Amino acid sequence: MSFIEVLSSSQILFAALLTGAIYAIVAVGLNMVYGTMRLLNVAHGDIVMIGAYAAYWLFTQLGIPPVASMFVVAIFCALIGAALYKLLLKKMLARPGDVPHLEARSLLLFFGLSLLIQNLVVSLQTATPRAYQYMDHVYRISNLAMTGNRLLALLVAFFLCLAIAAFLRWNIFGLALRAVIERTDAARIVGVDVERVHLISLVIGFGAAGVAGVLLSMMEQFSPFMGFSLTIAAFIVVILGGLGNIAGGFAAAMILGAIETYGVALTSPNMRSILIYGVFVLALILLPKGLFHKRFKK
Amino acid sequence: MKNPASGDKILWAILAVFFLALPFMKQDYFTGIGLSFLMWLALTQSWSILSKMTGYISLGHVVFYGLGSYIVVVTWQQVPLWLAIAASGLASAVFAALVGLPVLRVRGPYFVILTFGLAELVKYVLLAVEASLGISSRLLFATPDITEIYWIMLGLAAASTLLLEAVHRSRFGHGLRSLRENEEAAETLGVPIARYKLVAYVLSAIIPGMVGGVMALRSTYFEASQAFDAMISINIIVMAVIGGGDNARGPLIGVAFLVALSELFWAEAPQFYMIILGLLMIMFVVKLPDGLLGVLESRKKKLGGRAL
Repeated sequence: MSFIEVLSSSQILFAALLTGAIYAIVAVGLNMVYGTMRLLNVAHGDIVMIGAYAAYWLFTQLGIPPVASMFVVAIFCALIGAALYKLLLKKMLARPGDVPHLEARSLLLFFGLSLLIQNLVVSLQTATPRAYQYMDHVYRISNLAMTGNRLLALLVAFFLCLAIAAFLRWNIFGLALRAVIERTDAARIVGVDVERVHLISLVIGFGAAGVAGVLLSMMEQFSPFMGFSLTIAAFIVVILGGLGNIAGGFAAAMILGAIETYGVALTSPNMRSILIYGVFVLALILLPKGLFHKRFKK
Repeated sequence: MKNPASGDKILWAILAVFFLALPFMKQDYFTGIGLSFLMWLALTQSWSILSKMTGYISLGHVVFYGLGSYIVVVTWQQVPLWLAIAASGLASAVFAALVGLPVLRVRGPYFVILTFGLAELVKYVLLAVEASLGISSRLLFATPDITEIYWIMLGLAAASTLLLEAVHRSRFGHGLRSLRENEEAAETLGVPIARYKLVAYVLSAIIPGMVGGVMALRSTYFEASQAFDAMISINIIVMAVIGGGDNARGPLIGVAFLVALSELFWAEAPQFYMIILGLLMIMFVVKLPDGLLGVLESRKKKLGGRAL
C-alpha cells in the first residue's frame, strides 16, 4: 500500500480508533491508581488478561456471551482490586518511609504479582494462545468492512470512556480524586477520605481493565503473556496524557493508537514492538510531564 | 565478640577455596551448577554497584548481558576470545555511557520501568536487524569446554565482588550512598551527583556484558529473544532483594537460594519456579524490605544493645 492509500483508508482509521479506545480504558485505571497512590501497577495489563480468560471461560463453558459477561467480569476484576488494596497495599501505604524508595519497591511488588498471575494462568490454561468466535459477521459500509465484535468493542469502549469521564466530572468523587492526585496530605486535611479514594480508584480501574480484556478476547488471540505490552501502552498513555488528567489520557490513547496502527501499516507488523517501546522510552525521557502539561498548570 | 570483618574474610576465603577446587572434581554436572552460581553472583554484584548503592533500581540489566553476547557471537573465530570478551565489556560500558545521562535523569519507579523498556527496545531492534539480515539464530562451533568457561566466570565473579567492595568502601561509594538517601541534600553538599550516577551505571554495566559474552559460548547459539530475556533482569533483582544490604556479602544468600531453586524446578516445572519467584518478590517487598541480611543485622544490633 502506498503512503496516500494508507492515510486515506477508512479501514485503517477504524483500526486506529479501536486500538486507541481500548488503550484508553486500560490506561484510565493505571492513571487513577498511579495518580492517587503513586504506585505503578505493572500488573495492570495482567488484569486485562484475566478479563480475557474469564470471558473465554464464561462463553465456552457456560455459554454466557461476552456482551453479558462483561458486567460479571468487571465486578470480578473490581473485587480483585479491592482485595489487593485490603490485603497488601493499605499496609504498605500506611508505613512511613521515603517516597522514591517506596515507589521503586512497590514496583517490584507489582512485578512479583505479575509473575504470579501470569504463571498461575499458564498452569491452569497452558501458554498456548486462545481465541473463540463471537459475532464475527462482517458488516460493510462502502469500502469499510468490520466484524460485529469490533463494532461492539468500539462502542463499548467509547461508552465506558464517556461514563468514567462523566462520573469524574459530575460526581463529588471526581473532585476528591483530583485533590488526592494533586496533594494527598492536603486533601486529607480538608476531610477527603483518602483510603476510600484509593479503594474506589482501584475498583474502577480494575473493572475497566477487565472490560478491556473481554473486548480484546472477542477480537483476537490472547495468551497469558499479553499483559505486559498492554501495561507499557497504558503507561505511555498516562505519561503523554499527564498524570491524573483523564481527558488528556483519552487524547493520548487515540494518538498512540494512531501511531501504532499507521506505523505498522506503513512498515511491517514486526515494527509494532519497536514502535511501542520506542515511543515509551522517548516519552519517559523527553516528555515526563506529558503533552498537555501547559494547560494544566496549578 | 568476634570482629565481623574477620568473619567476612574467612567466609570469602572458604568460598574461594571451594570454587577453585570444584572443577578438579571433574564432574560436569557440579561444574555446571558452580558456573551458574558464579554467573548470577557476577551479575548481581555488578547490579548492586548501581542499584543497591544509589537506589536507582535497574530492571533492565539484561541489556548489557545481551549486548555482550551479541559481540562475542558476531566476532567468534575472527578475533581471539580474550579480545572478544574485553570488547563485550567495552561495548556495554559505551552503551551505558551513551544512554546513561538521559536515563539517569528519570527517577523512582519511572527509572525502573524505563530500564525495562530500554532493554526490550534494544531486543526488538536487534531482532529486526537480524531478521533483515536473514538470520534467525546464530550457531557457534568449536566453543571452549565447560571447565575453561568456568575459569573465566570465576575470574569475572571475583572481579565483580572486588569491584563492589572497592566501591562500597571508597569516597565515591559514600557519595553514592548519600545520593541514595537524599539526592538534593547530597547535591547541596557538593556531591557531583550526575557524574557519580553515570560512573556507577557504567561500572555496573561492564561485567554483565562480559558475562553475557561468556554465556554465549556456553549455550553455543545466539537468539536475541533469549539473550535479552527479561527473566534475567528479574532473577538478578530477586537475588539481590532476598539478600539485602549493599555490600558484597548481601547477594550470596539470594544467589545460592535461587540457583538451588532453579536447579530443582526450572527444567521440569518452570511455572512453579516463576510462581515462587513472584511470591518471594511480594513477600520481601512487603515484609522484609531490607532482606535477610537486614534482619540479621538489626537483630545483632538489638542484642548488642541489650548486652550493653
